Amino acid sequence: MKLNGSEIIAECLLEQGVDTVFGYPGGAVLNIYDALYKYSDRITHILSAHEQGAAHAADGYARTTGKCGVVIATSGPGATNLITGIATAYMDSIPLVAITGNVTNDLLARDSFQEVDICGISMPITKHNFIVKNVADLANVIRKAFRIAMSGRKGPVLIDIPKDVTGAVWEYEPVKPEPIINPTLSSSEDFAEAAKLIAQSKRPMIYMGGGVVSADAEKQLLEFAEKIDCPVATSVMGLGGFPSSHRLFMGTIGMHGGYETGKATDNCDLILTIGARFSDRVAGDRNKFGKDAKIIQLDIDRAEINKNVKIDAYILGDLKDTLATLTEAVEKTTRDEWINQVAEWGKMGKVTETPKSDDYAHPYHVIEAVRKLTKDTDIIVTDVGQHQMWVSQKYRFEQPRTWCTSGGLGTMGYGLGAAIGSAVAHPDRRVVLFTGDGSFHMNLNELATVCSYDLPITVIVLNNTVLGMVRQWQKLFYGRRFSQTDPHRKTDFAKLAEAFGVKGMRIHNDDDAEEVLAEAFSTTKPVVIDCRISPDENVLPMIPPGKTVDEMITKME
Amino acid sequence: MDNKQIIGLLVHNHPGVLLRVTSLISRRGFNIDSLTVSPAGIEGYSRMTIRINGDDNQVDQFISQMMKIVDVKKAEVLPEDASVASELILIKISTAEHDNNDILAVTSKYHASLVNLGNHSMTFRASGTPTEIDTLVSEVKEFGILEMARTGIAALENGDKLLANVE
Repeated sequence: MKLNGSEIIAECLLEQGVDTVFGYPGGAVLNIYDALYKYSDRITHILSAHEQGAAHAADGYARTTGKCGVVIATSGPGATNLITGIATAYMDSIPLVAITGNVTNDLLARDSFQEVDICGISMPITKHNFIVKNVADLANVIRKAFRIAMSGRKGPVLIDIPKDVTGAVWEYEPVKPEPIINPTLSSSEDFAEAAKLIAQSKRPMIYMGGGVVSADAEKQLLEFAEKIDCPVATSVMGLGGFPSSHRLFMGTIGMHGGYETGKATDNCDLILTIGARFSDRVAGDRNKFGKDAKIIQLDIDRAEINKNVKIDAYILGDLKDTLATLTEAVEKTTRDEWINQVAEWGKMGKVTETPKSDDYAHPYHVIEAVRKLTKDTDIIVTDVGQHQMWVSQKYRFEQPRTWCTSGGLGTMGYGLGAAIGSAVAHPDRRVVLFTGDGSFHMNLNELATVCSYDLPITVIVLNNTVLGMVRQWQKLFYGRRFSQTDPHRKTDFAKLAEAFGVKGMRIHNDDDAEEVLAEAFSTTKPVVIDCRISPDENVLPMIPPGKTVDEMITKME
Repeated sequence: MDNKQIIGLLVHNHPGVLLRVTSLISRRGFNIDSLTVSPAGIEGYSRMTIRINGDDNQVDQFISQMMKIVDVKKAEVLPEDASVASELILIKISTAEHDNNDILAVTSKYHASLVNLGNHSMTFRASGTPTEIDTLVSEVKEFGILEMARTGIAALENGDKLLANVE
C-alpha cells in the first residue's frame, strides 16, 4: 500500500511491537506528529517538558521492560537536547531508537533554520546512526535500527530523517521482524578451560554487572552461583540481577561498595566477571584488581575482553546461554569456610553512623523505611550523587528491571525522566525516585509531565542543600575548600510540587519519616517529599579513586 | 615501544564510514601512522589499510573495537611475513648543491623513476615496502628534500587468502 514517510514510520514501529513513544513535537517532525495523531489508537505518545526528559523516559521504559525505548525530537535543538539522554543509554548499554527530524533535503548543509548535523554529533554515543535521504530506504532503515539496538551488546541508535522524506509517499509492505539470536562464540574447549579454573578454585567470587540484567539471565546466574556455592558482588548496574536477600549476595563492589566485597576481591583466587566491564568505579586500581586471582570473563562484547583488566579465560555469547552451558560443565560444590570468611568481613566493615538529629533525617533510615513500604516489583529510580550511592548500598533489590540509575555516564537530572518512563511502562506499580536537591534542580521541569499523566511516582528529595558528593570530595581531597558546592538555594520542594499540581510533603527528621512515607504510599497520586538530611552526611565506605580496599575510608569528620 | 602492525579492513561503502573509523581511532586513543582507503574490488565495499603502533593487546583491542562498527565487515591483522605491503612516494629533491648524477646514483638503487625535472629540483616516483621507502627518504635527505607525498600503505595477504569472503 502507498503511505507517506511518517505513516511508514508508524507502521514500522508497530511491526517492532512499539506501542509507546516519548517525544516533543517541532517544525521538522510535523509530518511525523500528524501520523501519530492518526495512529493514536495504537501508539501512545508521552509528551515531555524537554527533549532530555523524553530521552531519559525512553531509557527508563527500556530498562524496566527489556524492550527498546523510542524517542522522537525535532531538528536542531530538539535533537541536541537528546544527546545527554542518548549518551546515558550508550554508557549503560540500554536499547533506544531515537528519531529526529531534520530540515528538507534541499536545505541540508546550508545552515538552515534549526539544522544540525545530529549524525555527526551523535556518532560517538550511538551504536550506529542513519540519515535517511530517500523515502525508499526508510522502512528498512527503521527495521535495521531496532535490530542493531536490540542485538549483541544493546545500545542506542539514531535515525535522522529530513522533513521531505517524512512527507513523501512510497510503497509499504509489512515485514515481520526476525527473532534476534546472539550466537555463542566460544568453543567447548573454552567452557572446559573455564570449568577447570572453577574446579581448581578454593575462593571464587562472582563480580556481576548490568549485562546480567540486559540478557535477562538472572535465573541462569542464580543457578550457576548456587551450584558452585560462590559469593556474588555486583556493580551498581547489576543490582536486581541477583536477589539481595540471598545468602550468597555480598552487595555492591567498588568505590562505595562494602568492605566484604573489597576484601573478597583482594583475597579470592578466582573472579568470575559476568556481564561487567571493570569500570574505574569498580576496579579503582586496574593493575591491582584481583591481584592474586585468576579472572574469567563472560560477556557478549569481544571488545570488553582485556580492555581494562587482563583476563585469564573468557566466554563470549548471550549470558543466558553461556551461563547455562557453564553451569552444566561445573561440579556441584560447597564452600562453607570461604563463605563464612566473607560474612566475617561483612561484620567488620560496618560504618559508624552519624547520631540521630532533630533537624535531619538519616538517608539510610529513609531508604530502609521506604523498603518496608515497597513491594519487590516496585521500581526504584535515582539521580546521581550521594543519594544514588546510599540507595545502591541500602535498598534491598530482589528482582531485575526494578532499578534505574545512570551508572556509566553519571547523569545528574536523569531520574525524573527515567521515573516517568518506568511509570508509563508499569501503570500497576509504584515508582520511587530518590533524588538529591542538586540533581532534582536540573530537570524538575518534568514534574509537569508527571502531573499531566497523573503518574504514580513518589519523589523523595534527599535535600542536604549542598552538592553533597562533590562536597565530600572537597572535604577529602581539596582541604575543605567548598568551591561552588553550597548554592544557597531556598527552593521549597513541597511548595514547588504544589505549583506543578503535584502533592508536596516534608520529612523533617527520623521521627516523622515513617508517618510521612506511609501517607505518601497510601495514594497512587504523584507526591514530592522534601526530606531534610544533613549537609555533612557522607557516603561511606569509600575507596579513593585509583586505590584498593586497603585504603578504604570508613570514617570522616 | 615500536611495534607496528598492518590491519586490513573491509567496510561497507556507505557515506560517513571513514569518519566512523577515524572517530573511533581518535576517541579510543589508538596510535596510527598510515591509513588508506580504496575500492575493494567487491561491489559495495571499500578496503582500508591501517598501520597501528601498539602492543599485541592494543592491536587486539583495535580489531575488536573496529568490528563493533556496523559498517565494518571484517578487520584483521595482515602479518608482515605473510603479506605484501607497498606504498608509493613522490619526492622532490633539490639539485642546487649536489650533482644530478650523485642523486641519480642513490635513487636508482630504489628503482625510483625521475618523473619531472625542474630548474633546481628533480621529482622522483618510487614504490616499495614501507621500510624501503623509509630508507630511500633517509638516504636522499642529505641532498635536500623540498617536498614529498606518500600514499600510505596498501597491503594484501600472500597466496589465495582473502580478508573476507563476500557473497
